[in-house]
Amino acid sequence: MNATDLSFATPGLHARLAQLNADQLDGLDFGVIGFDADTNVCQYNQTEAQAAGLTAPRVLGQPLFTNVAPCLNNFMVAQRFEDAQDDDTSLDDTIDYVLTLRMRPVKVALRLLSEPGSAVRYVLVQRRP
Amino acid sequence: MSAEACAVLAAEHEAMIQFLYLAPVGLVQTGTDGEIAMMNPISAQLLMPLQRDGNLVNLFDALEDVAPELRNLCAAFTRSNGMICEGLHIHLNGGGGARHRRAPQVLSISLLKLDDTRLMAVLSDVSEQVRRERQLRQNDAWLNALLTSITDYALVGLDRDGRICEWNETIGRVTGHPGSVIGQPYSVFYPSDACTPDQLHDRLRDADQNGWSLSEGPSVRADGSLFWSSAMISPLPDFDPQVDITAYCMVVRDISDKREAIESRRKSVYCDHLTGVANRRAFFEAAELELHRNRRRPRPTALILFDADHFKRINDRHGHPAGDAVLRHLGQLLAATFRQVDVVARVGGEEFAVLLPSSTLDGALAVGERLRQLVAARPLLVDGMAIDITVSAGIAASDGVDENLHLDALMKRADQALYAAKAAGRNRIERWTPPPSESDQSPTTRDAA
Repeated sequence: MNATDLSFATPGLHARLAQLNADQLDGLDFGVIGFDADTNVCQYNQTEAQAAGLTAPRVLGQPLFTNVAPCLNNFMVAQRFEDAQDDDTSLDDTIDYVLTLRMRPVKVALRLLSEPGSAVRYVLVQRRP
Repeated sequence: MSAEACAVLAAEHEAMIQFLYLAPVGLVQTGTDGEIAMMNPISAQLLMPLQRDGNLVNLFDALEDVAPELRNLCAAFTRSNGMICEGLHIHLNGGGGARHRRAPQVLSISLLKLDDTRLMAVLSDVSEQVRRERQLRQNDAWLNALLTSITDYALVGLDRDGRICEWNETIGRVTGHPGSVIGQPYSVFYPSDACTPDQLHDRLRDADQNGWSLSEGPSVRADGSLFWSSAMISPLPDFDPQVDITAYCMVVRDISDKREAIESRRKSVYCDHLTGVANRRAFFEAAELELHRNRRRPRPTALILFDADHFKRINDRHGHPAGDAVLRHLGQLLAATFRQVDVVARVGGEEFAVLLPSSTLDGALAVGERLRQLVAARPLLVDGMAIDITVSAGIAASDGVDENLHLDALMKRADQALYAAKAAGRNRIERWTPPPSESDQSPTTRDAA
């Protein structure tokens, strides 16, 4: 299976994403935001950049929940990652959410991925009909 | 346009988008019906946790559970543009903060009408400011009690259990009680339904903890006449239980002449504008305080949630003014049926909550049942139309022993019982019963409403 076979709902996606390089991430049809232990964004793929209207250089290295996607800074998203980190447990959950892409409310599904011991955590974004 | 000019414009556009993404307040543009046209991320951060369905389409719908008055405020605003409300406080929940560190407790909303088709809203989380203001207000009340020119006051010595242990002329002058009042609890100064024995003790414990306990409210003289009092209780600093009888000093002032000002200030902050009963803010403040005390000194506390049955149908059939009349009617019946010490509040569009300090589930059920029958007994007449009204209710209680039963958990239980009552055919009251499994899942779905 190569990178383009990966879909938003692929099981065990965290381990698969960790193996992809930037070009391969750009080829995915869903948004990928990867962030490190300090919540700084370290991966930001093309699909996400286009939807949000921001290019990767403006976003990489910035703290996700305060400077990039403050809309996720609540108990539904940010705290889930914090709790997973505090409890040293894995997180793989998909929730319905509304993002404000280019200031338009857009219904999306968010998949939250975090694995103990892994440097990178992910928020994946897919538009809902 | 040259490629270079395009690139400059694109960069500017991106910077502008990022500027809006990062603005630390929520900005929303809607139609006059509340349909969201544009919004920035903080708006979603603040509003999404309030949504039941994971969608965010209409601002009024999004805030319906916590600020049902917004739609009316906008409808009632007849000018073609201008500020509809500025810095209106929306109280979200009582105990959520403990469980969710990030959950705001109070939102501030300003609504600006741009023209006949567009509204602009500014949202922000003001929980911290409100907490600070509350503290300041309490300090103000304390200073007020000390510094306001005192015309007359009663100085009362209380023993450890709050019984009056000395008589002096000031007691006779302000309250009319003779020396025989000695030995009675200080509740003798209050109307019989205005405080419970537990609350008498609470105020002594508050005084122990904070150095003082201050309250304003209705008081009663020996001859039964009412006055408005401000009373401060403070522990005597050198109290020695081996030797002394007098443990607290209570100062009672007759402030009837200031009552109007105090009441109107209280009303503007704590009253629901439509029904006159307490609003969400007053309810959550009072309920938090009561549950906090209830854990310190375990005792039963009951909560009833009432919901007007088929309220939407009443609105559709008879119009919104009739719906408003129904809500006012329910507010009046609730206030008249429950004790003065109970907190009756409108907590949602057609939802009322009653907090009953020192009341068991069965006690609350008995009064709740009386209210239900009273409502159903006869239709309400509005402009010559007879409107049949019934209410459903859910009851839950805390025994004060379960440390984890915070206000939001208690609300959830009452809510589950309410929906069980709806599902069972309405015009009835259900008690919360523990689900068969360990989990605290709803036995019915909200669709039953």
